[in-house]
Amino acid sequence: MTTKSCSYEDAVTAAARSGDWSPELKAHRDGCLTCAELTLVVAALAADAEELAAMDTPLPDSALIWLRARLATRERQYQHATRAIVWVQRAAMAIALAIGFAFAPGLWELVSGTFSGLNLSLSAPNLPRTAGSPLLVVVVSMLVLGGLALWELTVAQEN
Amino acid sequence: MIPMALTLPQTQAAGLAGRAVTMDEAAFRHLYDRTARPLRAYLMRSCGDLALADDLLQEAYLRMLRSGFEGEDDDHRKNYLYRIATNLLRDHFRRKKPESDQVPERDESPGHDVAIHLRSDVGGAMAELAPRDRQMLWLAYVEGASHHEIAKALGLRSASIRSMLFRARERLAKQLQARGLRPELEVS
Repeated sequence: MTTKSCSYEDAVTAAARSGDWSPELKAHRDGCLTCAELTLVVAALAADAEELAAMDTPLPDSALIWLRARLATRERQYQHATRAIVWVQRAAMAIALAIGFAFAPGLWELVSGTFSGLNLSLSAPNLPRTAGSPLLVVVVSMLVLGGLALWELTVAQEN
Repeated sequence: MIPMALTLPQTQAAGLAGRAVTMDEAAFRHLYDRTARPLRAYLMRSCGDLALADDLLQEAYLRMLRSGFEGEDDDHRKNYLYRIATNLLRDHFRRKKPESDQVPERDESPGHDVAIHLRSDVGGAMAELAPRDRQMLWLAYVEGASHHEIAKALGLRSASIRSMLFRARERLAKQLQARGLRPELEVS
């Protein structure tokens, strides 16, 4: 199909939209199939657009759209703000687990030794020295903190 | 066709000049009040379903706000909105019928609102066209978009628009004539 363009198309389009026809343009339009079709289409669409824009059906509430957008923005800002905290928590958890695993063999011996030598009837000053070992305290604390970080991460992601 | 900006009708555009660039709630309401009805008309005539048009309308404004796009003025924002809306329409038709992007056919979705098409002969005639033809015709002859803007909005090559628009125009003219509309009836 060949496009049968007409040099008057722009002028005809403008006139059809505005309804402001010069006698010459009108005469041209009446004798040009392309411009007659163009006039029909442009005028019909303009009338249709006017009719649709004047519809009584209410538009969606702009305040609601604004609110939804604000909520989405806040959610994004919250995620952005907590991203650093989440990464620190992940790093802490990874370090705690790494330390825990590194000391696991020794820790097992320490713990088993402590409990095997534990006599509940003994008074506190007579407890084995390993029961109060700083290393044991550090490792157990790390494991507890790692577990807490893991729990915190899980809860944060669920929310 | 001389490229025309995708602008509001003159009476509305005059009131938008010089608006603040910052998009606060008042600016958004101002933009919404002036663009929502024409945009809904575009969406409705493109998809043929008022409820869907309203959904897409809301989504278009939401996406604009979420994107943080401020634009130079309301005209700029309006162009952006129409591009978002056109993308949403394209996504809708793609989801519904994957091949519609290549050989678009008449919209026959279950949500197709016949009542809207019967509102006027123009609506009925438009309903016979492919979604892309409807969008193209509306953008060109109602919104006054340039070939370049239409190409950008529809994801087509700018060079193809002229012939595609011509063919779409011919198809619509035939549909209108089949409904008894003639140029002399339209032009007063």
